[in-house]
Amino acid sequence: MKKVLMVLAAVVFVLVGVAVQAQSKTLSVLFYSPELQEQYNDMIQQYQKETGVKLDLTVLQADYRSVLTARLNSGDTPDIFMSSAYADNETYKDYVYDLTKEDFIKNLEPTALTGVTLDGKVLGYPFLVQSHSFIYNKKVFKDAGITKLPTTMKELEAVCVKLQAKGIQPFATGFKEFWVLPQTAWQALAPLPAAYNGDYAKFVADLDSGKLRFQDIKEMSTVFDLLDLIKKYGGNKPLESDFNDQCAALANGKVAMIHQGNWAEGTIRKTNPDVQIGYLVGPTADAGKAGIMFDSNQTIRIAKDRPNTQAAVAWLRWLTTSAYGKAWIPSKIKQISPIRGAAAPDAQLAQETSAMLAKNVPSYSWFYQRFPTGAEKDFGSFFQGYLAGQTTRAQTLAAIDSDYAKLVAAR
Amino acid sequence: MVAFKKRVSRGVEFAALTFPALLAIVVVVLVPFGMSIVYSFSKWNGLDKVPVFNGLANYVELFTNDPALLAALGFTLLFTLALVVLVNLIALALALALDQPLRGKNALRAAFYVPNIISLIIIGYVWRFIFSKGFDTFSAMTGWPLFQASWLGDPALAFVSTVLVSLWHDLGFYLVIYLAGLQTIPRDLIEASLIDGAAPLQRFSKIVLPLLMPSVTVCVFYALSNGLKTFDVILSLTNGGPGNATTSIALDIYTTAFGQGRFGYGMAMSVLLFLLILGITLFQVTVFKNREVES
Repeated sequence: MKKVLMVLAAVVFVLVGVAVQAQSKTLSVLFYSPELQEQYNDMIQQYQKETGVKLDLTVLQADYRSVLTARLNSGDTPDIFMSSAYADNETYKDYVYDLTKEDFIKNLEPTALTGVTLDGKVLGYPFLVQSHSFIYNKKVFKDAGITKLPTTMKELEAVCVKLQAKGIQPFATGFKEFWVLPQTAWQALAPLPAAYNGDYAKFVADLDSGKLRFQDIKEMSTVFDLLDLIKKYGGNKPLESDFNDQCAALANGKVAMIHQGNWAEGTIRKTNPDVQIGYLVGPTADAGKAGIMFDSNQTIRIAKDRPNTQAAVAWLRWLTTSAYGKAWIPSKIKQISPIRGAAAPDAQLAQETSAMLAKNVPSYSWFYQRFPTGAEKDFGSFFQGYLAGQTTRAQTLAAIDSDYAKLVAAR
Repeated sequence: MVAFKKRVSRGVEFAALTFPALLAIVVVVLVPFGMSIVYSFSKWNGLDKVPVFNGLANYVELFTNDPALLAALGFTLLFTLALVVLVNLIALALALALDQPLRGKNALRAAFYVPNIISLIIIGYVWRFIFSKGFDTFSAMTGWPLFQASWLGDPALAFVSTVLVSLWHDLGFYLVIYLAGLQTIPRDLIEASLIDGAAPLQRFSKIVLPLLMPSVTVCVFYALSNGLKTFDVILSLTNGGPGNATTSIALDIYTTAFGQGRFGYGMAMSVLLFLLILGITLFQVTVFKNREVES
């Protein structure tokens, strides 16, 4: 009898559990950036506590785009997902909800909205404002007696020579990661050929139409010079260095510099919590224009015409206007929030970014995100081939041009 | 009449018993395969609701304007050749050794088979770690140039690395097939040759090898088709790099379809890969079958 009662009780518990489950709303979410997993979970718990709505989160990195594409075209659409800004507005325009008329959009910095706007429609929500450039270990620089920070290619090379003389490897390259290579490379081109006067839209439009080819951009030689320099001073296995290797080597002072963004700070600090790091400007062809790359690229998108679309929009509103939501990015993720008047994060690279912007150090948008889908991975692999000695500069440029044309045609 | 009835009822039985399996194969293999052939004549970015039919354009590009595919084809053929030759020679040699009355041969057989149980993706990551971090430590300990070389960063060495890791993983499987083949060789033939005074080498080439041909056919076939469609170990070990030095056709198809969003073209590439594998393996099986003998 006792046994029967126990079984009955168990059945009742299960049934009640199922009923409660069915009542609460669940939104499916697909994000990338696994380094933020803890912060994602913290936010999800808080949101469930405040509203009872559950977010069912999947976080991926390397195959993110493949999985997203497969889920979208098989009808298993996530209610909330992430993508890049710029070119991805066009890519996902048939699937995403137009946020233009939502009240909370006006709470965001207008500069952060540029990258998510297509034909006047706000098709995404800028998640983070990020920066990338060369990061250096302040202690290593000080110990090597480097007081003046390099701003040109020549000065950067002089610093490398000095570091190497002291027995310190100047760079951890990150060349194994397909996304680090283009980020490093395109920063050297960020001021653009003078004729474009910084007009990225026109620059990319000319590339798209084939009017401009990479082979004809004489500033590309600076890009290759920079990559060669990093390879030369990047240890004896420059093509095997990945993100984790970069962060660990910089944190424990094994290398002096890496090319990364402020998202790397958490990983760097995990290896060495007391490390002092800062940004160097990235050398460009025009010596006076060295700066940092600063933009909101990671974009949250809401799937349209879904039963949960409005619930997902409500979540974004909460993220923008609630006390927890406003503090989430600066105090938990420790990066710069796109929300107007948000607190400054307690992170060295984010603070350094703000300080550099305040001192009018040039900052450039992530213009390469305007290149067609797939360009990042393809160009990363071409640059990698160049650095491995597979192709010459001319061959690399020819490969980039022909690939670019194919990607444009595939749109 | 009775015989006819019996034949009909057996036919019904046969159909009824194979139908579930047949249905599963049709639904999950044949239908998608047919669809990919249809899609291979279209331009589709994977996201548009309707693909645009573009005739033979994909196939024209495939044969006239795709240097990346040509490079991938070159790598794949070279990789397959290396794998087929090495895996079969080594597995056969090991099988002959482990067929002898050795101490601890069962433990050895298990040891060679274990890597085969682990997923190739994981093996790729493990070896990636060994080649970079592990070799750094070994190099600090021994100072041997072997460990200082950039096994994943140098195009030629990266090729060797992918072959070595695949070999390490696959060996056990082929070893088992060869061992099973050796068990089927009648002892009396071996004994007869011993009495006739055949040297070990003669015995191997005149008796063991001809009788082992069915196993060789199977093993070479598997090695060929696995080599030609190799994907997972490369994805996790080198991701096709440095540059495109280790990009196989399957990986090229994957990046073309999912990375560049060119699904139609990717399908055309898969059709080509299918025909390539079909052609090569059919040729191999026909040639090898002719060399098999009855004992």
